[in-house]
Amino acid sequence: MYKQLNFKGELTSVFAVPLMIGLLFFACSSQVKAQDIDLLLKGGHVIDAKNNIDRKIDVAVKAGKIFRVAADIPASSAKKVVDVSGLIVAPGLINMHTHVYAGSNPGFTDGTSSQLPDAFAPRAGITTVVDAGTSGWRTFPDFKAKIIDNSMTRVLAFLSIAAGGYSADKAQENIAEMDVQKTVETVNKHADILVGVRIGRYDGTEWTPFERASEAAKLVNKPLFVECHLPMYSLEDQLNRMRSGDIMTHAFENVSERMTVVDDQGKVRPFVLAAQKRGVLFDIGHGGGGFWFNQAIPSFKQGLWPNSFGTDEHRTSMNSGMKTMLNVMSKYLNMGMTMPDVIARGSWNAAKSIKREDLGNLSEGSVADIAVLSVSKGKFGFVDSGNNKIEGDKKLEAELTVRAGRIIWDLNGLAASPFK
Amino acid sequence: MRTKKALISEFIRHLYVKIVLGITACLVLILIVATVQAQEIDILLKGGHVIDPKNNINSKMDVAIVADKIFRIAADIPASASKKTIDVSGLYVTPGIIDMHAHVFHGPDVNSISANSHGGLQADAFSFRAGVTTVVDAGSAGWRNFPYFKSQVIDRSQTRILAFLNVVGGGMVTRYDQQDVTDMNPEMNAYMITRLHPNILIGIKSAHYWGDFTSVDKAVESGKLANVPVIVDFGEHSPPNSIESLFMEHFRPGDIFTHTFSEHAISETTGGRESIVDVNTRKVKPFVFAAQKRGIIFDVGHGAGAFNFNQAIPAMRQGFLPNTISTDLYNLSMNAAMKDMSNVMSKFLAMGMGLQDVILRSTWNPAQVIKRPELGHLSVGSEADIAVFNLKKGNFGYMDIRRTKISGTEKLEAELTLRAGRVVWDLNGISAPEWQMPTSTN
Repeated sequence: MYKQLNFKGELTSVFAVPLMIGLLFFACSSQVKAQDIDLLLKGGHVIDAKNNIDRKIDVAVKAGKIFRVAADIPASSAKKVVDVSGLIVAPGLINMHTHVYAGSNPGFTDGTSSQLPDAFAPRAGITTVVDAGTSGWRTFPDFKAKIIDNSMTRVLAFLSIAAGGYSADKAQENIAEMDVQKTVETVNKHADILVGVRIGRYDGTEWTPFERASEAAKLVNKPLFVECHLPMYSLEDQLNRMRSGDIMTHAFENVSERMTVVDDQGKVRPFVLAAQKRGVLFDIGHGGGGFWFNQAIPSFKQGLWPNSFGTDEHRTSMNSGMKTMLNVMSKYLNMGMTMPDVIARGSWNAAKSIKREDLGNLSEGSVADIAVLSVSKGKFGFVDSGNNKIEGDKKLEAELTVRAGRIIWDLNGLAASPFK
Repeated sequence: MRTKKALISEFIRHLYVKIVLGITACLVLILIVATVQAQEIDILLKGGHVIDPKNNINSKMDVAIVADKIFRIAADIPASASKKTIDVSGLYVTPGIIDMHAHVFHGPDVNSISANSHGGLQADAFSFRAGVTTVVDAGSAGWRNFPYFKSQVIDRSQTRILAFLNVVGGGMVTRYDQQDVTDMNPEMNAYMITRLHPNILIGIKSAHYWGDFTSVDKAVESGKLANVPVIVDFGEHSPPNSIESLFMEHFRPGDIFTHTFSEHAISETTGGRESIVDVNTRKVKPFVFAAQKRGIIFDVGHGAGAFNFNQAIPAMRQGFLPNTISTDLYNLSMNAAMKDMSNVMSKFLAMGMGLQDVILRSTWNPAQVIKRPELGHLSVGSEADIAVFNLKKGNFGYMDIRRTKISGTEKLEAELTLRAGRVVWDLNGISAPEWQMPTSTN
């Protein structure tokens, strides 16, 4: 009996020992895994439109990716913990309309009117900028080599139908150079960077440039991005030629070059609302002259909302009423748009519109591009392109910007250790 | 009958009345003229607290601007005398800030440190939003590429850009170019400064040299010929050269030591820079005080690797203050602990420097150091370069280059910046009218 018991006991232990070792191993390995969290953003309020999150929840980053989004992830499981309580944790913002082909020529293309992405993006919570056609099929390789490959900020781009992009000279209006085939080839070759085709400046009456841009966009199955400098095309004709998913920027401008979206009676023109209903998207494209409260406020009240907060970042817009993308977003907060709506348009909506659903969200496994924002309370003023001001009581500020898991901006040293 | 005496006294009385009336008339006339003149004020900054260290002003004052010049500074200048009045009450009005150490020779060369490259940033993108109206480029260009710097950057910039010319003809292209003593040409440097661009070039820069004192001496030689100061980044000598020798033997009074609060780990192989605070005792080395007394200028030059609380905090506690506060703005410093000029100034507030002192070391001190006494103050008649700051209250953090942090309760934020009388930055639209919904709009 004793022997039997002993045998039984031995038998049990034969199974028990490996089982226990296995269990221990499992426990250890999961422990090891958990300790592998590189960065834990703890206690923040996450707004992630794609995943329908709008609540206090922790975000763990590992190896440049979002590792886990869950309540109460223990601090002990992370190499670095940053207390972000009281702050908004959002997907890294996407600036849909920038000019970042910065160089030494006059004008935008390889020029001094463009801005370096890293000079304005990280400090505004932006991790992705989309260049609005500052390059074309001929200049894109140079743009890529000089700027795109040398920036911490992710740089995507619309390719101009004009071969040179957005140069200061009239050559950009040469129709013979607006080559659909070469544009399509360039976009397809750099499909990871080029997100659509842009028609930017044309002073003539014929529709060939517009149609070629639209044709190229259709062939690559990406959106057409329409800028304002097309004075001979009527707004209605432009919108009629745009497909669902195409993007009209400078939506709320009030300049002689283009008919306004709001009529003299303060009503959004019916054909504009019809285009919106058809799926045409409207980007702000604030710029130095592209955003007017007498357009934006009636439009907002009547349901013509911007889908994205492109700033039209360039030399003369940066110090005007535009300032930063967060300043532009704050205008809408104070005009009455809710925070989740504002964040969605600064991230997920923008990502969807350029068919980059891998961006603008905090899904587990996606790249860890994150903006941690504070909402300052106080008395603030916001100015439009006509130098008119509205007042407001809240303003967004970027506390921490994370790009592919790396902290690239830390306003107040949230992630720093105290000096001793 | 009146006596002769009475007649004389009456005559005197009449004369007296006439004189009084005459003076009154003159005064009225002057007043009228002054009023007419006063109505010609273009912009009136009203109700702000003016800090103008050169003119010893630290009180509530109004500042009137006509065209591009400071017209008047006085208490209670009436708003009616001005075409435009901006209420700056609760804010600090200071001379436009001078950032004495920046790199703004922006251009397309991806292989260059800061000459015609991404290392140099666009001045306008960082200046006005931090209250800066003048940046001084610290030797990004040498005499050979300065013409490009001027035509493609300086001439197109709204910010006033002045520059130290690099002692090396090619400027800051690579570390290796910086070692080429055959490209250090004092005659050419002096010619460039005194004959060709005396309005822009204000000094000579020596940097990144690995050898003995040759680079510094060539810079000083250039500086003597052109009668300008030299600024030295004394960074990469192996073994490190003596900073005492630099200050007391090689420098002239007025020459500038930048990266004052850097602390490098010094090794035999990689070299480094001797620090001003002894790394063991945490005492400021005695000759450093003597050097400052001798007239050597100590510049902050924060940068991405040159500002360490281990140096700055003990130094400040022991009474050693930098003469000038500056950023060393370039691509690697802009998003790190440095951020921008107003952040660096706020960092000094957090370390205990008084606001007036911070302004002094960011305006009038650098103006004197670069021998541009027309800048850095609000004297009547000077160019209207003005910064209006909000001194925010709250909990703020300030980092050094090792990412250690101190906390502070104040932060300077640029509300309004004027360059030559023009509003070039207006954070909250304090100079803009309220938007009105068009009447036809429902």
